[in-house]
Amino acid sequence: MKIKSLDPRVSRLELDAVDKQPDAVLKPEEHWETYQVFHQRKRGEKHSSVGIVHAPSAEMALVFAKEQYGRRGETVNMWIVNTRDVLAMDYDDYDVFATTPDKMYRDPAGYKVNDKIAEFKKSNLHV
Amino acid sequence: MYGGGYIHDDQKKKTDITAEDPALLAEFEARIARGEKIEPRDWMPAEYRRQLIRMIEQHAHSEIIGALPEGTWITRAPGFRRKLALMAKVQDEVGHAQLLYSAAETLGKSREDMINDLINGKSKYSNVFNYPSKTWADVAVIGFLIDAAAIVNQVANSKGSYGPYCRALERICYEESFHLKQGHSIFVYLATGTPTQRAMVQDALNRWWQPIMHFFGPSDKMSQHTETLMRWKVKMASNDDMRQQFLNMYVPKIREVGIVIPDPNLRKNPETNMWEFTEPDWNEFYEVIKGNGPCNAERLAVRRAAEDNGAWVRAALRKADQHYVTPLA
Amino acid sequence: MFNKETLDAVRLLLLFQADDHLIIGHRNSEWTGLGPILEEDIAFSSIAQDKIGHALGLYSILNENLGEADPDTLAFMRNETDFTSSHLVELPIGEYDFSLVRHLFFDLAAHIRFEDLATSAFDPVAKLARKVKGEIKYHVFHANTFIKQLGHGSEESKARLQSAINQNFGLALGMFESFEGEQLLIDQGIYKGEAAIREAWLGEVQAVLLEAGLKMPDASKVEPVLGGRKGFHTEYLQPLLDEMTEVFRVDPAAEW
Repeated sequence: MKIKSLDPRVSRLELDAVDKQPDAVLKPEEHWETYQVFHQRKRGEKHSSVGIVHAPSAEMALVFAKEQYGRRGETVNMWIVNTRDVLAMDYDDYDVFATTPDKMYRDPAGYKVNDKIAEFKKSNLHV
Repeated sequence: MYGGGYIHDDQKKKTDITAEDPALLAEFEARIARGEKIEPRDWMPAEYRRQLIRMIEQHAHSEIIGALPEGTWITRAPGFRRKLALMAKVQDEVGHAQLLYSAAETLGKSREDMINDLINGKSKYSNVFNYPSKTWADVAVIGFLIDAAAIVNQVANSKGSYGPYCRALERICYEESFHLKQGHSIFVYLATGTPTQRAMVQDALNRWWQPIMHFFGPSDKMSQHTETLMRWKVKMASNDDMRQQFLNMYVPKIREVGIVIPDPNLRKNPETNMWEFTEPDWNEFYEVIKGNGPCNAERLAVRRAAEDNGAWVRAALRKADQHYVTPLA
Repeated sequence: MFNKETLDAVRLLLLFQADDHLIIGHRNSEWTGLGPILEEDIAFSSIAQDKIGHALGLYSILNENLGEADPDTLAFMRNETDFTSSHLVELPIGEYDFSLVRHLFFDLAAHIRFEDLATSAFDPVAKLARKVKGEIKYHVFHANTFIKQLGHGSEESKARLQSAINQNFGLALGMFESFEGEQLLIDQGIYKGEAAIREAWLGEVQAVLLEAGLKMPDASKVEPVLGGRKGFHTEYLQPLLDEMTEVFRVDPAAEW
């Protein structure tokens, strides 16, 4: 028996009505690999990571990314990187950065001499 | 569009939180309590991972299946403006499915497995899409009110704890607001149009009102085990709160154009400031979840046909040295 | 200013292209939600939207510059015999091989035509052609990438594409049906004419097919399927129009 649908597109598919669909329709990796997409909105701005596309090749990834990540608003450029080629840190290794904000000697705010100057101005050494 | 407010959960699959390492669990919960996001390769309780996959996957399924009842009308949309808008709207639903499947993939379930579980019925999607869209006015009601309901749910969820899901929802909510506007526009044009147009949209609302009231799921009094999910910021708002919020925002917008909501008991109680309404038929709700709604079989058959018909394209393009890795974000 | 005969020829040219774009956009939109993979579903939908948009642009010129009815009336209220679409665009979507090959055939032609029209002496169409240049570039990039990768894909994909190419080549040649007044357009720098477009098209198709490892049919041995421009259509156009206009015709005077 064919499915009777209100949707003319579905009627044209002439689908069989079945009681139960099979457990697996898709085989592993049938939707290919993933590519990370980087999007640049305007010249002068940086590219930012906006998401992924599934694609069989970098060129095809670009074909897909153009519409999935560039179909609204402004875009001037995109990059595509195979997810396999990205070496990402573990969040567990966050501790390598933990003390960085404490290293005031790398920070302009770490150098305060106004007190010294004021003190000097009040002192006898100041002519 | 459509993060179905109600997310079906098979309680038999629940995992035991007490088996988790207490120190890691405490750190995880403290991070969420501080308002920090959880990222894909963080340690997380198995139950958190399972619940998120379940929720994001069902949301993704709702998008891809939701594209069908509206896609029905693409070829019949009246006039250029409506035709272009509906094409873009349905395209967005497919785009949302792509974004959501991608977010769920970061938790370790492949897109192929998710789609298999959609088709074989192991994983659910929002019940509303198991109802037929019979006339053009259904496009108005779906685009306006079901997208509105979805926005209520998604705005809440976008403040949840899982980074990739929040990021996907941020973009999705923006696009949903276009959907709502275009749905509302059709709704208003029909409601303020000819007698035939008015009758069309009234009839559509009459048919869709119960599925809309089902949308956020049964009253919280009837549902269970939400405490942990709320603490983990997986579930962000109660079913009742979301339904009240929806009624507050949209009942006036329906009534202002003279369309009658088919529930004589619907009223805002001035003392409690809460909406009172006739309880929708929850037996029907559970029957539809079980697969016995008017369109369940068709929706799954169509999704399967789309995958089957595309199989040769995917196989032909696949490179021999292909090797899938879990996406990063 | 152009004389009446010239403007009548412009009218035909624009109507042919508007009808072709509307019908192929409509056909391709049928794939939305049913495509072979989510990403392609999205891409192909955008292409369909662009085609509908280009049809709207062309009908708008007919309306604003040539005194024809408004775009909605032209698209949704004409009879089948008033349509001038080529038979290629009328056929149902079939399987993805057919839809992709039709997309390649159609978009290479659209690309050549719009490139020519971008320098047309008839200014409104030149403006439109320049505006949509980037959109068509993407359509061609999409078609070429698919055809090349599938051409070098599996035995099945090669065979499917080759047979879709062979079976529909005559239909594709039907896109270049000559029409009355064409010479006036050529003489006045409005359009380079169907024969020239066809020549350029054959060259581009051959280049893509060569790169895709597919065989180019011998155009001199294939009979073009003509008649669409004169209002003779396939059996598929009337049902398409019935479906497309079902809601609009409930009350054409109503605002939808």
